[in-house]
Amino acid sequence: MFSRDTTQEGIGEKAHTTFSRGSGSAKGARMSSTGISQVLFIPQLLPTFLLIAFGSLIIWSASLTIPEASFPRQLLGIALGLIAAYVVWSYDYRTFSNLSTALLIADIVLMLLPKVPGIGYSAMGMTGWIRIPLIGLRFQPSELAKLVTILLMASLGAEYNGRIETLRDYLKLCGILTVPFLFILTQPDLGTGLIVLVSGAAIIICSGPPRSWVLITIGIVVLGATLVVVTSMTPGLPHVLKQYQLNRLIVFVDPSVDPTGDGYNLQQAKIAVGSGGFLGKGIGNATQSGSGFLPEAHTDFVFALMAEEFGFLGSTVLLGLFAWLIFSTISLAQRVDSPFAKLILVGIVTMWSFQLLQNVGMCIGLMPITGIPLPFISFGSSSMISQLMSVGMVQSIWRHRPKAA
Amino acid sequence: MSPIVFIVTLLAIVLVAIVVLLIINRGEARFTFDIGGQAPRASGGGDNSTEKGFKNRLVGLEIFSGTIIGVLFTKLWAMQLVSVDDYTKQAELNRTRRISTVAARGRILDRNGVELVTNRPSLVVVASSEVADNDVVVQHLANVLGMPPVAVRRKIQDQTEGAQSLRTVAVDVSRRVVSYIDEHQYLFEGVHIEERAQRHYPLGTVCSHVLGYTGSPTIEQLKDSEEDETDYGISYESGDTVGQAGIEYQYESVLQGVRGEQTVYVDADGNVLDYATSIEATNGSDITLTIDSNVQRAAEESLAGVIGRIREKGNTECMSGSAVCLDVTNGDVIAMASYPTFSPNDFVGGISNDDWEMLSSEEAGNPLMNRVIAGQYPSASTIKPLSVFAALNYGIASLESSYVCTGYWTGFGEDYGQYCWNHDGHGGVNLREGIVYSCDAVFYEIGKGFFLSENPEGLQETFRRWGLGQASGIDLPAESIGRVPDAEWKYNYFTQADEFARSWQGGDTTNLVIGQGDLLVTPLQMACVYAGIATRGTIMRPHLLKSVSTHAGDGTIIDFKEETLLTTEEEASSFDLVHDGLQGVIYEESAAQASHFLNMKELVAGKTGTGERSGEEPTGWFIAFVPADNPQYVVASCIEQGGYGSESAMYVVRDIMGSIYGEPDDSDAVDSSGVR
Repeated sequence: MFSRDTTQEGIGEKAHTTFSRGSGSAKGARMSSTGISQVLFIPQLLPTFLLIAFGSLIIWSASLTIPEASFPRQLLGIALGLIAAYVVWSYDYRTFSNLSTALLIADIVLMLLPKVPGIGYSAMGMTGWIRIPLIGLRFQPSELAKLVTILLMASLGAEYNGRIETLRDYLKLCGILTVPFLFILTQPDLGTGLIVLVSGAAIIICSGPPRSWVLITIGIVVLGATLVVVTSMTPGLPHVLKQYQLNRLIVFVDPSVDPTGDGYNLQQAKIAVGSGGFLGKGIGNATQSGSGFLPEAHTDFVFALMAEEFGFLGSTVLLGLFAWLIFSTISLAQRVDSPFAKLILVGIVTMWSFQLLQNVGMCIGLMPITGIPLPFISFGSSSMISQLMSVGMVQSIWRHRPKAA
Repeated sequence: MSPIVFIVTLLAIVLVAIVVLLIINRGEARFTFDIGGQAPRASGGGDNSTEKGFKNRLVGLEIFSGTIIGVLFTKLWAMQLVSVDDYTKQAELNRTRRISTVAARGRILDRNGVELVTNRPSLVVVASSEVADNDVVVQHLANVLGMPPVAVRRKIQDQTEGAQSLRTVAVDVSRRVVSYIDEHQYLFEGVHIEERAQRHYPLGTVCSHVLGYTGSPTIEQLKDSEEDETDYGISYESGDTVGQAGIEYQYESVLQGVRGEQTVYVDADGNVLDYATSIEATNGSDITLTIDSNVQRAAEESLAGVIGRIREKGNTECMSGSAVCLDVTNGDVIAMASYPTFSPNDFVGGISNDDWEMLSSEEAGNPLMNRVIAGQYPSASTIKPLSVFAALNYGIASLESSYVCTGYWTGFGEDYGQYCWNHDGHGGVNLREGIVYSCDAVFYEIGKGFFLSENPEGLQETFRRWGLGQASGIDLPAESIGRVPDAEWKYNYFTQADEFARSWQGGDTTNLVIGQGDLLVTPLQMACVYAGIATRGTIMRPHLLKSVSTHAGDGTIIDFKEETLLTTEEEASSFDLVHDGLQGVIYEESAAQASHFLNMKELVAGKTGTGERSGEEPTGWFIAFVPADNPQYVVASCIEQGGYGSESAMYVVRDIMGSIYGEPDDSDAVDSSGVR
């Protein structure tokens, strides 16, 4: 049936033929799978569930030594996330394509929620949380804003149907992207801001502007970033970056500069990862994360905990599952026709890829330290819910794909 | 500027990914599906139109994501498979701590097993040196310890503990104080409680000069132990107890145990989670000394008593003295006393600056000095037996020689006349009587004989042959060697004087022959000389170590190997004469002196001495061995500025003998004849 759907399409032939073969064997085994795979995109759903399962195992092992890592709370987050994903999946994503103004407003409202007295909540130097009244659960709206921004940019980019011809249109897209970015920076949450920026930029690039415009834009961004860092480091000039943000950049280059603070964390994370070896130290035997040497071992540095307990084997499995997730999503993007759907998938894939790079990269000294969670793994409901909503979005695109008549 | 480099690198990576994407996009221009403008507003509807551009862009996205996963995988490969050993080592280093466990220092026992030095546990309050600048903490400490704040601050500023960065504020603090400080750690920043094994001296000041004292390792000792690469060397840590004087210093390597090592697993806050391997501490070995604590105590009490009585009589110049008792048969030191004394307990937990200054001050009489081995005095008349040996050996006198003493000797002419101590003169005297009555005229004659003979330094040669001017090699640090003056020494010593005054004169020899002038001896050297006389020529090396019993292993006892210090070849007839003369000193020189020894069953032989120095009270000597007919012990005493030997040192020697044989001196006769 897939072949039938897609033979007319000019793209993604290779991907879907492979896929149809897999599907065919499944059909032979279980008749019902045909019905399910009509509405669920199994190749993307399977790695998601495996990641959640692996993540639950990691958080459970973290809960053995870290009192803050409450396993039931993580399970609650997963449950809420699955419900949210179900809602998104049931909803026809196409509705969003004409709602760009509403999406922009929703985005801004989400960013401003933590500033509202009464429900705003500050932690770790950021006013990035809201406390939901009645249930008292804390939630980070910027996590949801990532997804809303992706929808927003995709809905705008899709208008040009793959080719942006006027500079005015291009600048309009770029300008709108800076809105959520700047709002996130006020929290201030540079890490999430970067994710929004990178996934938004990927959508713009895939919307088809001329290459030279993109290159010039990147040049301007590089110059601007350099300027921000330089002025922040020079006494007397306005300090756009906070001192701790600057420190993170400095210790990334030379961890020995700050052996007690971020430099220490980076060093401990690297020791945790490296000492895991091939097979790891086993569940509950992690000396780095178990004995408190590695801070935030269940949230930001959860990868280091995993790498210490499960070793290179665990790292490979984790990267493999992410690769599966990402490439199956790209294959879906190749297969669907709607530019809007394509751009949503581009945004989601970029978000996952960049978060993976940021989170794993900072544990192994490839990236500076930012408080970005590892999707599906890190302890925390906000990230889990928004990531599962992304999965729900991907599934909704599959479910609401145009059926061949 | 390195963060900029990072930013640029980061963005360059993004750039490369995007460029790749755009390069793939290139074909787009040739395949323009002009539906952009007219295409319906993207509705997700069944628009089957497609873009070659999208396909290429998605390939670019695949490259972007694939590159990220590839880079992460490569780096993880490098860290977890290639550098795993290095990181594992760092992780181990993180979670393990080595704690060294204290080894008990060996005890010191007397020859009968009485504990002279032992250990006791003690709780100690220590503070880092910065605490002195923190008025609040100092005040809190003062309150809880019940000390004035000034004293607390002085203790913290005190640097006598040397390498210690933690200064001892109070030792032997109560449990109550400890729990208060523990519960209120926030009030006592930089203050810690340590449990230390403190040295304990149950007999107080008894034997203090022999035992010495302990302290924290000095900077030099810490450095030495660090540089010592061998496994046998002792490795010190600040806070250790280290011998700094006496036996504690001499046998440091025996007494000091070897620290054990305990490896523990800790968490990030340093809390101990689990115990790993451990190496047991090896306690130091116990040392048994040749000292008999009873005789020692008697010697010290007598010394203090005699000096006290002399001072009561008005001679307040007399402040110090010493006494030593040797077993002539093997060199065992039975007692070794020096006055004034000190308490080694004062050094436990670190001695204060004030105490240290007092103990090392001239005015207080240098209580830390062990005068038996470090005190140097003219031997006075106690040298006369050696002068007799010299005279007989070099033919200056014979066994039959006789002399006439008029009280004023003019052997070198009227201008150079010298008095005998007895200005009335002894009349006709032979060599034996010269010893018995300590007649100076006899020895002036001998001195003159040497001065004019072919062997003008025969006296010095004899003295040196008997061990003067050399260390006895006793097992104690800081032994003085004394001085046997000769022409060469005199010439080099008085460099400011004219040639004539620097040259050796007849008067120098007549001074030397009666043990006055520039001759310097230690009481231990003279005790050894008399031991040699007693044994008729064999001087055993004096020693304090009797045996070592190791705590480690089977507790074997290693005995000290006695050895001969030197043998002196004198004629048997010469020894007979000197022995006879020395018994004569005891029983004939004066009735009062004899009365103190007639009440003993044992026969005693000995010699008085009175060292004279202008402008000072004379220094009294008395040296004797007992039993004279079968010598076992030699006892020597020297009281600085204590008057004549018969009035001062004699009592100490008698009291020591009395303690050995259980025969206290019941004579209260006082010598008034002024015998020397």
